[in-house]
Amino acid sequence: MSTYAIIGGGVAGVTAARDLAEAAPSASDEIHIFNGEPYPYYPRPLLWKFIAGEVDDKEDLYFQPLSWYEEKGIQFHLDTHVVDLDPDHHRLTLESGDFIPYDRLLLATGARPFVPPVDGSNKEGVFALRSLDDAMAIKAYAGGVSKAVVIGGGLLGLETARALRDAGPEVHVIEIAEHLLPRQLDREGAQVLRGLLEGMGLELTTGAVVDAILGQDRAERVRTKHGRVFDGQLVLFSAGIRCRARLAQEAGLEVNRGAVVDEQMRTSAPDVFAAGDVAEFQGDIHGIIPAATDQAKVAAANMLQSGSAVYTGTLPTTTLKVAGAQVASLGEYNPDQADAAGGSSFRVVRRADVDRGFYRKFVIREGRVVGAILLNEPKRAAMARLLIDRGIDVSQHVDRLVDDDFDLRSLL
Amino acid sequence: MDKWECLVCGYIYDPKEGDPDGGVEPGTAFEDLPDDWLCPDCGVGKDMFEKL
Repeated sequence: MSTYAIIGGGVAGVTAARDLAEAAPSASDEIHIFNGEPYPYYPRPLLWKFIAGEVDDKEDLYFQPLSWYEEKGIQFHLDTHVVDLDPDHHRLTLESGDFIPYDRLLLATGARPFVPPVDGSNKEGVFALRSLDDAMAIKAYAGGVSKAVVIGGGLLGLETARALRDAGPEVHVIEIAEHLLPRQLDREGAQVLRGLLEGMGLELTTGAVVDAILGQDRAERVRTKHGRVFDGQLVLFSAGIRCRARLAQEAGLEVNRGAVVDEQMRTSAPDVFAAGDVAEFQGDIHGIIPAATDQAKVAAANMLQSGSAVYTGTLPTTTLKVAGAQVASLGEYNPDQADAAGGSSFRVVRRADVDRGFYRKFVIREGRVVGAILLNEPKRAAMARLLIDRGIDVSQHVDRLVDDDFDLRSLL
Repeated sequence: MDKWECLVCGYIYDPKEGDPDGGVEPGTAFEDLPDDWLCPDCGVGKDMFEKL
């Protein structure tokens, strides 16, 4: 019999546990998830629905009840903090003082929000969103304010801004980069998104750096480096993440920005694996859900049988909904950057329509679609994903791909 | 027919509604979705879903 221990009950931890439970060779194998939060796993995107008031009971956010884990042979320990990892003795220490021996361990401790060193960021009314507890605090506070400021116009910032807007306050988003969603869109696409968001009642400022949160003890206003001031009694930082790698570091594992893993998701310590936001692979912390699930699956496979799976990276594909608009950024959607590195020749076809609120962009290499951005076009996004995945030859139709009346399905 | 939930984003596939944007007719059971069908909200595969 073997004991598989997983630290962290987020998407990476639960994905790995599920695969382990599915494939564990013996009924006497044990699978433990140690979760610092007092709740079973919940998909984090649901936190926006919770803040927006679309879901009120926190139980409705849980992916499955605890009984589901039991049935699968997964022991999900709530509110259980691991305080020490001893890889030499294959042993964990819990906050309670209990020792947990393991055969294979997965670090899936995730990340915490990064709060930049801005003057006044310790005032009441200043938040960052990561956990259900954060969401509950934000939701409660949002009910009593008229204006909110979200610092960061990336994926999480915009989703949170939209959720806050639904909860009541007026919301102003301040983004440091020159356009919104700098990681998922290009300038043309961001312009269309901006129009959509403004239509939903969000105010947006790009190319601005916040340098102070003003107010007595509570946040009242936010000031930028150029001296602009925005009212906001609730201030929410959405400025990226930092790995929660302290446990790994203290255990003497190789930690750079995150716990360094190889292509089997092994850390520098024997029988200790890492996946998700805490893992650093080839110098990168992906910080996106598809990478967390891909890595968790590879880790689980290798925990069961060493060398049975290899992680080769995750394309930065994201699909999200902002203000009801679907943003699909697929494959190599911003080839300018990839181009410089690879030197291959790409062709890009695009069509933007701010009034109708859509954006289509296809990146074609050697007659095949290798990347796409589809804004507010879920049907075309679904088709584009299939075109990319199946590597279909579109060379005869490149000029028509973005046309209103062109049916992408006819290519499949 | 059962509803299925995406582990990653919480999207619920309801066979009564299907996934018209993804070319799936209403009335299609989860089991009958094509193997390369992806979650319309977050883009992960069928294997990331669990029956409710």
